[in-house]
Amino acid sequence: MANDINLRRLVIKAFHMTEVEVGDCNSVSVDGKMTINMDELNPIVAKYSDVIESVKLELIKPGEHDRYTNTIMDIIPISTKVLGELGEGITHTVTGVYVMPTGVDVDGEQAHEFGSSEGNLKDMLYLNRAGTPADDDYIISFDIVFKKGMAQERYAIIKAYRCVEEWMNIFRAQLKKFNGTKCTEKHEYYDRIRPGQKKVLVIKEMIAHGAMLDTWIFPNEPSGVEGGKSLIDYGCMPIMLTPNEFRDGAIKSMN
Amino acid sequence: MGVGPSTKETSLHHFRDPLIKILGEDSGIDLMGVLVFGSPEGNEEKIRCSRTAAVVAECARPDGVIVETDGWGNLDVDYVNCVDEIGKRGIPVAGLNWSGTAGTFVVQSDYLGNVVDFNKNPEGIESNIVGENNYTDDDVRECIKKLKIAMLKKERSL
Repeated sequence: MANDINLRRLVIKAFHMTEVEVGDCNSVSVDGKMTINMDELNPIVAKYSDVIESVKLELIKPGEHDRYTNTIMDIIPISTKVLGELGEGITHTVTGVYVMPTGVDVDGEQAHEFGSSEGNLKDMLYLNRAGTPADDDYIISFDIVFKKGMAQERYAIIKAYRCVEEWMNIFRAQLKKFNGTKCTEKHEYYDRIRPGQKKVLVIKEMIAHGAMLDTWIFPNEPSGVEGGKSLIDYGCMPIMLTPNEFRDGAIKSMN
Repeated sequence: MGVGPSTKETSLHHFRDPLIKILGEDSGIDLMGVLVFGSPEGNEEKIRCSRTAAVVAECARPDGVIVETDGWGNLDVDYVNCVDEIGKRGIPVAGLNWSGTAGTFVVQSDYLGNVVDFNKNPEGIESNIVGENNYTDDDVRECIKKLKIAMLKKERSL
């Protein structure tokens, strides 16, 4: 609108993956090809050996959801800041493939207690929601086996998410260098004042109880862990975000 | 995320949140920001944090507020208190919340009339199916419609 006052701009450039395979390295390319590989993951997992027994990476192709899954901890987009702080500048994100950490301990105790989603994946994941993959998306199953009794310990869950992020950072480093003009989608968002229009505030209440029921805020990377803190550490008190900070992955679910 | 698998919002949901998307696209709305507060375990803290969110709203002078949560059960305590404190301050308020049949409000307020129940499960239960009971574009539009009517009523002193 003509009278709008734009305060700052956020550009999210999406790069759609069309071919995802298990290969000999972890790589993502601007032309839509991605390969995942266990070898580079093992040394990362070894750093978290006090809480994690092992991690199994599996690629789930579109339509191949008739398979067992442990409880689904999160669905994470692979995104990275290219220019500017969280909430402004440029962000690159991958579409067509999402990371799905799942968790269980060596004795079979699932990483959730108040309802868990283990079972046949085709029955336990509702596709095509804002927060879930679409019919034609690939899913990277990051299946974490925790040490005995660790699947419901808060520090173990946090470490598990750090482990997931460390592996995702291999792709983020490559995604950062993509030629922005080759993106498959470009979305421009503004924090803006619309003089004369109805001023509306959104309030979101997010869980901050502890292990498996936790929300983190202000990560270094969109939907990331490092640099972020739990709402519990902020005493659960209200924190104001601009719409663009929110759109840029300022919130990370830590369940 | 929230309490159960079917209602809890994933990191991807926050990244592509339909509420922020649709509000941002509405040329009749000046989207001020997103106020986030945590839902702690203790009752005293719940009341303090949710009330403070309403205080921030009052001080920011919005024409209307939308309160959303993906939690239920004990999270209703903070949710309903927040809606109640905003309503009592004379600010038009609408909301998004999962109730179904299993998660109806455990506490009450006179200001819950504009809260949209985004249940999707046929039996209204926490099905443990990730994403099933998440709000969609349609729920958001319904919520914004309710808020716009409430703001108009206040403007015309109805």
